Amino acid sequence: MQRRAALKTFALSIGSTLVLPSWANAWSKETLQQSSIILTPLQETLLAEVVGTIIPKTDTPGAKDLNVDKFVTLMVADCYDTKAQDTFAKGLVAVDEIARKEYNKTFISCEPTQKLAVLNKMDKAGNDTEKGFIRLVKNLTIQGYLNSEYVMTNLRVYEFIPGRYHGCVPAKTQAGK
Amino acid sequence: MSYFNIDAVAAQTFDAIVIGSGISGGWAAKELTGKGLRTLVLERGREVKHVTDYPTTMMQPWEFEHRGQLKKEVRDANPIVSKCYAFYEGTEQFFVKDAEHPYVQEKPFDWIRGYQTGGKSLLWARQTQRWSKYDFEGPARDGFAVEWPIGYDDIAPWYSYVEKFAGISGNKDGLASLPDGEFLPPHEMNCVEKYFSQQVAKNYTDRHIIMGRCAHITDPKPVHLAQGRAKCQHRTICERGCPFGGYFSSNASTLPWAAKTGKMTLRPDSVVHSIIYDEKKGKATGVRVIDANTKQMTEYYARIIFVNAAALNSNLILLNSVSSRFPNGLGNDNGLLGKYIAFHNYTATISADYEGYLDSTTDGRRPNSPYIPRFRNVFKQETDFLRGYASGFQAGRYMRDDRSGMGEDLKKGLLNPYLNNVWNVGSHMMGETIPKESNYVRLDKSKLDPWGIPQLSISVDYDDNDRKMVKDFFEQLTEMYTKAGFKNIRTNDSNRTPGLDIHEMGGVRMGKDPKTSLLNKWNALHECKNVFVTDGACMTSTSTQNPSLTYMALTARAADYAVKELKKGNL
Repeated sequence: MQRRAALKTFALSIGSTLVLPSWANAWSKETLQQSSIILTPLQETLLAEVVGTIIPKTDTPGAKDLNVDKFVTLMVADCYDTKAQDTFAKGLVAVDEIARKEYNKTFISCEPTQKLAVLNKMDKAGNDTEKGFIRLVKNLTIQGYLNSEYVMTNLRVYEFIPGRYHGCVPAKTQAGK
Repeated sequence: MSYFNIDAVAAQTFDAIVIGSGISGGWAAKELTGKGLRTLVLERGREVKHVTDYPTTMMQPWEFEHRGQLKKEVRDANPIVSKCYAFYEGTEQFFVKDAEHPYVQEKPFDWIRGYQTGGKSLLWARQTQRWSKYDFEGPARDGFAVEWPIGYDDIAPWYSYVEKFAGISGNKDGLASLPDGEFLPPHEMNCVEKYFSQQVAKNYTDRHIIMGRCAHITDPKPVHLAQGRAKCQHRTICERGCPFGGYFSSNASTLPWAAKTGKMTLRPDSVVHSIIYDEKKGKATGVRVIDANTKQMTEYYARIIFVNAAALNSNLILLNSVSSRFPNGLGNDNGLLGKYIAFHNYTATISADYEGYLDSTTDGRRPNSPYIPRFRNVFKQETDFLRGYASGFQAGRYMRDDRSGMGEDLKKGLLNPYLNNVWNVGSHMMGETIPKESNYVRLDKSKLDPWGIPQLSISVDYDDNDRKMVKDFFEQLTEMYTKAGFKNIRTNDSNRTPGLDIHEMGGVRMGKDPKTSLLNKWNALHECKNVFVTDGACMTSTSTQNPSLTYMALTARAADYAVKELKKGNL
């Protein structure tokens, strides 16, 4: 029955766009182009490591392997306001700063456990920007991961054309894949 | 070289003209061509062909660049249509963008429009409940608007006629308040929906939970296969257009049927400016059309004209059809054209949890949900507000996943979804609003649209009756939910502005008396009898049912009458 959850995720992601803050009307294409979301190659690598830490590779691909970092950048650039874009840019800088402070090396050079510790520190003990960054990137990473072709077709049940509806079937404690 | 002009006039002359190709225009096209009339169908939007012009219909979720979400620049540029539940990355192409077709909001009104072949029939919610005699009798009994010139018996055969062709699934429930129709097999209720239905039957004599009747083919008949349509595949992404023709749309059904007769000329990109009235003949002789792209005006001529431009646009066209005989709009001797606009009140929802049937769940998807026919003031007045409301009802057992933490724990949570430990249930209110003279549309001649046509100015609002009804909906549904053992009941009033129900009606209402109505019992203008209005504009009152099925039936009925009168030489 995971397909229901997948669809629900999809539906929720649609629903969440329908709220338009009033200040957003002042937003123009020019400000979008000037926004700080055009990442340098180094930042791109850093973001890939961040999403790969949030959903790592195990016996199945992680978010980085599925190019979810590209999705995160695209979404922040196309679908989010300047405030979120600012949080995104500042948060990405903070990731490296905290890694250097804690472990005296760049985030990319950290061990997997250290990387996770950096993100958890930002999430739990960080300032508003750091917390906001983790919330934003984590949510988008989950969205991109769960709605990726690999996960939808290999790891969760997804039916494009169910062709049926049964109103009452036995619920398994752990629905099969 | 005058014969050139004669040829041109001949090429621009038809037996009938239909303005609009949406749900009612498609029916007018089918009926008129089916009766042998050479028919010009004018669509102001672009052409959208069945299947080939549904670009997103076979797209998988991961194929959408933003996974369905709209880009911010799209939302910012379209604050009105962005409020519509069906507007997303997969359907953008079927909605009018705010800036392209401006209108004036004297009071806030979210006007949701679909300008293309098939209009909003591609996007509709596909619920098809008949009106009952009590719905038609409402205005006369309760003393509002004017008396309907027709009753249930007049329209019942036409409901049957359109239902058989369109393909309506439903259960024969035997309710006086919601007559049965010509049904294909119904969709199934799930365990909790059945349970609620039984609880309500036990606790109330006047309330029923039934399966919604909807325009989905659950068991295709030869007439559906002949249309090239197949059984609904339960994809539940109908609003992207259905390659199976599983649900009824003009594009999948009536328009290709009309085209097969060889009698239809479909002209997209054709903005109707006005209807031409000939004072000597005392009737309409054609329409003025502005090409949407070249902005060049052309006249087309016909013996009868069906106005199916969608409720408010039909008002606009008639208001803009001025002549020395009709200085205030075609057929508008009484000054009521554009007035008594009404709609459905969808502001209220209620939801709750149910902890029973936890050993069960659902399988597959369903493009439909149960329905609670109106139970307030049906047979007599019994509350402090007029009329009443129907409601949807839906129960679902959803999947959850643990999204806490980051790293391998998070991944494990995401890949091990589990069934929610409750069923979620919910209802939405569909309230009848009372048509009032103060709810109106008019032309604002100081503001022209890109085709030089005055913009429509809309002034529509809720009133105390609507607010009392919302209060009653919350009270009654809370009581019904409580008696069924539902917990954690939550009510929500979205306070949304009118328009988003996409059920705007009236302005060219039907009635018996030319002094107080615009259309007669055959949907013809009292004062210009070869012009028929059979979309939402004709509605004298709104009742609570989703209106499209009634427009279809009224259109088929009016077309039958029009052709008979034409053959008798009366039009």
